[in-house]
Amino acid sequence: MFGYYDVPLGIAKEGISLSVKRKGEVLLYRRECVDEKVEKILLASTEKILINPIEPLNKPKELTSYLLIEFEKTLVVEPGATQKIYVTYPVEIGVFMSGDKDFEILDIFTLIKQKFTLYGDPRSGVICKYWRSEVYSSKPSINLLHEGILELSITNTNTEWVEVTKAVFNAYGMKIYYSDDMVSMKATMKIVKGKSAETDFVDSPLEKGMKKSFELYTVRTLSVTATKFVMEVGI
Amino acid sequence: MILDTVVYGNVTLFNLLMVTVILIIAVVIAKGVAINLKRSLKDKVSREHLEIIVKAVNYSIIGVAVLLVLPTLGVHPSGLLVAGGIAGLVIGFASQSIVSNLISGLFLMIERPIKIGNAVNIAGTAGVVEDIRIISTTLRTFDGLYVRIPNEQVFTTSITNYVAYVARRVEYVVGIRYSDDADKAIGIIKKLSEVHPLTLKNPAPDVFVNNLGDSSVNIIVRIWVPTTEWYGVMMELLWKIKKALEKEGIQIPFPQREVWFNNELKSREIKNSNSSDPGSSNSTG
Repeated sequence: MFGYYDVPLGIAKEGISLSVKRKGEVLLYRRECVDEKVEKILLASTEKILINPIEPLNKPKELTSYLLIEFEKTLVVEPGATQKIYVTYPVEIGVFMSGDKDFEILDIFTLIKQKFTLYGDPRSGVICKYWRSEVYSSKPSINLLHEGILELSITNTNTEWVEVTKAVFNAYGMKIYYSDDMVSMKATMKIVKGKSAETDFVDSPLEKGMKKSFELYTVRTLSVTATKFVMEVGI
Repeated sequence: MILDTVVYGNVTLFNLLMVTVILIIAVVIAKGVAINLKRSLKDKVSREHLEIIVKAVNYSIIGVAVLLVLPTLGVHPSGLLVAGGIAGLVIGFASQSIVSNLISGLFLMIERPIKIGNAVNIAGTAGVVEDIRIISTTLRTFDGLYVRIPNEQVFTTSITNYVAYVARRVEYVVGIRYSDDADKAIGIIKKLSEVHPLTLKNPAPDVFVNNLGDSSVNIIVRIWVPTTEWYGVMMELLWKIKKALEKEGIQIPFPQREVWFNNELKSREIKNSNSSDPGSSNSTG
């Protein structure tokens, strides 16, 4: 599903129906998935279409840049230890068309249900995209159109045992990679001062040969100043 | 000495030199204060208003310096002050409200209880803040009216800012029949909240029987949503709750009252008397 396509194209997979057809001088883009139907007329000389996983913060509305992953089971991390775990995260799919210099976003869709949550209190907290995940000790086998694999390296710099129930990430710092059978990211979580932690992403693939996703914030030329997130009100 | 040379009246060359030096120092101080003011208020006040404040402070410092050096030049401002006293008094009274609004405006810009684009309620007027000027604040009401409120009123009245925090609660009271299963109704409402993408997982929704009313069992529904989505979710969810409850056979009752009579109803007496009469076949009810 993910990769570069020449126009015209037609894809039908797992309830997704996507096509770009020439109609005279213009291109007709059609996409259907999960009760959502999108039709666009492209007045462009686009020859290439790129479909790849993007940061999961655009559907149903772009309300936040933070992703909160709640773990099914609480993790207990020993003092001074660095442990590697695998969790899942929601996948959103971006369709890009080639422009003069770069790729331009054309459509975004997802096959999974969306939910938001609040990290912190209503006064000073942040709205986060919510996702609940099992915790795995090795790479799980999952549907790449639904979920991605996040390799999370947790370091406990405290001198006491720490319980971890969730992780919050700044989605603008995400470095997403994909292959034919996996969508992945790598992140770190450094637990400092008891109940607070700092999370960040690592720009490297989970396996050799994986391709890097075209990140959405680059396309939108947003000024990204920070990719880290400091979890100050509980982990 | 050349510095003692009289230029005019009692003013010497030394006096002129001193005046020049004082004015240069005043300009430098004014510039320094302006730069510091710009730095400290950069994040608190809009650029347009910051320019006005900085200029006002700048010219005030230079003005004070000019007043200080006037006696050295042989001009005595005390005479000017006496002459302008009455005029000053008149102007002072006339501009009282303007100055009051101006100072309130400055405090509003520093305290910032509201920002441009915020949905607010100021002194009973609800709308979106269009502009915060030095004298007045303008709102665009939700029905599209332009409302200008003097800053003094904005500053001294209570302000409700609907979007100051990131999350806000939607609250409904849903009444069901006494014969309906309240636990089932609570389950249906919780499920609806759970599947709605824009309702928050945390804080968790509160759904519980709050009151045993005259005609219904009242269930209170409290659901947190992102502030920006509050209005849309509030409008959408209530009707969804009503439809989902009805689909499961749970109904929202009309107000009702059960009336008990001490004596038997007259109609029943008539009915009874008719039924005891063998010749009568049509009952009057």
